[in-house]
Amino acid sequence: MNLNSFLLMRHEIVLIAVALIILIAEIFTSEQNKGRIRGLAIILFALNTIIGFFPATTGTLFGGMFTTIPLHIVVKNILNIGTLIVLIQSNAWLKTEENSDKFPEFYVLLISTLVGMFYMISAGDFLMFYLGLELATIPLAALVAYDRFRSQSAEGGIKLILSSAFSSGIMLYGISMIYGMYGSIYFDMLSPAMAMNSLTILAFIFFFAGMAFKISLVPFHLWAADVYEGAPVNITSYLSVISKGAAVFILTVILFKVFPTISDLWQKVVWVIAVMTMTIGNLFAIRQQNLKRFIAFSSISQAGFFLLGVIGGNEMGMTAIVYYMLVYIFSNLGVFGVIAIISNKSGKENMDDYNGLYHTNPMLSLTMMLALFSLAGIPPVAGFFGKFFLFTAAAQKGFYILVLIATINTIISLYYYLLIVKAMFINKSENPIPYFKSDFYTKLGLGICIAGLVIVGFASGIWETISKLAFGM
Amino acid sequence: MEITVNHLMFGLFAAMILVFSVLTVTTRRILRAATFLLLVLVATAGLYFMLNYQFMAGVQLTLYAGGIVVLIIFSILLTSHISQKFEPVGWKKSYFSALASIAGAILCITTILQHKFQATTEAAKEIDMKLIGNSLLSTDRDGYVLPFEVISVLLLAAMIGAIVVAKRKKKD
Repeated sequence: MNLNSFLLMRHEIVLIAVALIILIAEIFTSEQNKGRIRGLAIILFALNTIIGFFPATTGTLFGGMFTTIPLHIVVKNILNIGTLIVLIQSNAWLKTEENSDKFPEFYVLLISTLVGMFYMISAGDFLMFYLGLELATIPLAALVAYDRFRSQSAEGGIKLILSSAFSSGIMLYGISMIYGMYGSIYFDMLSPAMAMNSLTILAFIFFFAGMAFKISLVPFHLWAADVYEGAPVNITSYLSVISKGAAVFILTVILFKVFPTISDLWQKVVWVIAVMTMTIGNLFAIRQQNLKRFIAFSSISQAGFFLLGVIGGNEMGMTAIVYYMLVYIFSNLGVFGVIAIISNKSGKENMDDYNGLYHTNPMLSLTMMLALFSLAGIPPVAGFFGKFFLFTAAAQKGFYILVLIATINTIISLYYYLLIVKAMFINKSENPIPYFKSDFYTKLGLGICIAGLVIVGFASGIWETISKLAFGM
Repeated sequence: MEITVNHLMFGLFAAMILVFSVLTVTTRRILRAATFLLLVLVATAGLYFMLNYQFMAGVQLTLYAGGIVVLIIFSILLTSHISQKFEPVGWKKSYFSALASIAGAILCITTILQHKFQATTEAAKEIDMKLIGNSLLSTDRDGYVLPFEVISVLLLAAMIGAIVVAKRKKKD
């Protein structure tokens, strides 16, 4: 092992370097110049995103604890792009007076959770996987409680940390059973040894329950709505897009890599959970009036759609998941971007407040509409293709009833997404949200989302690239 | 089966862990909960001693029982009043939680007892400090230098997070 081989961990090393530079910059800048750190952070992170696209070598390090394959690099780049959008979107919010004394920590915490996700994605054994998971969760709890003088935010933070500690406990119990039976925690040693017996099934259920907690699949979703509502909007968007995407990806990888011999079992489990997640998430979303809660439940139901790719259990499914992750980042961040702007400028978060928004803020309304169409899966925006490929992946394996249920759920979700569109464009309002000008960064963030939605929808090369790499799994 | 001293010791430690764990979560005084937790951790250290894993037992005693419980007690004394009692939990809640935990315990115990574990063929190893040090800093298989470093990133992030949450409101 020499220094050169460390370059395999380039994504992680660059990220840690960015976090450390921001931390050091905070110490050495004077009180008046603190504001410059915001620009510095975005520039550094943009650099990091660009560096991520440089050709990278693949292989394993540390005796198999760290593996990197081309697909991992694609996923890391996608997560980088998403986090960059989140950082750009949160710029206006971090500028406010109440955040002036703690915004540099925001960047360090956010970046360290991303480092955790990267290690989790590249993990070659359960220890690194678990460490990555914790690194991706614990700083997030502090971020949820970032507005700590608002009681909802503090409550969200404590709920997140307690429920994630509980789910980690359950998952670790499952992992310890696996270690007790097979004497290893390395994925490559476990997969050939794994046999179907009742203790393995129990261990798998515990592991799956822990992961389902993190992805907020029904029936492990109850924490999500409160945490999403309590957290600052930008953190909510990070939680529901980036963390969720990374967790779904790693769940799929582990199901493929560690539990292939009991795939009959986990397909049944995933089937039931997928149906429950899609349906219950949708039904609860219809009842919500607060838009943050609404998006929380709609993103629970979106996680159910991800499971359609998981259940496929083949390259097609893997490609569909990664592709949908990219689409989902652009669409959900678009919606959250608009909600964040309106919430920060006017403090309004209810659906009725959006009545007549088109007449005062046409650009914001159009952005929101496009992003919602993408979430609902209306062509030609990218969301349609994302859902289409997920359905194809499940149908390829013969899960026709599941695809049928998913299609019905798509129609239900279309109804409530259109409710918002109707509020913005058709409903009249006595006192609509007044017009306001957004600053450069806000426009840039939303612009990237819109461009992404259109480009990913039309450029078939993206799908083909991911598809080619997924066969290396 | 012949009952040896080892069996007796194991039974004693296991009973201690079980009883005090239940007491930790059922007591209504927070300082007592911390004390019961201390006893649970000490009993766990006893189990490590029985396994002949002295290093782990030492770490358990000094770090968990010594350091962490002292920290917990400190923070309790700094933040809440010592005579403060929690509200009693409603019977419905305790009934259902007891039902869920007992059902879960029965499920796990029966499944684990059913399973035929294969004994390892490797001979018992004397675990000395040199072995632990080597594998802690080894980059090969079964080496733990990467987790070791990632934990330090985690600790840094957790500390910054704690500072963000605990920071005083800026004076106007």
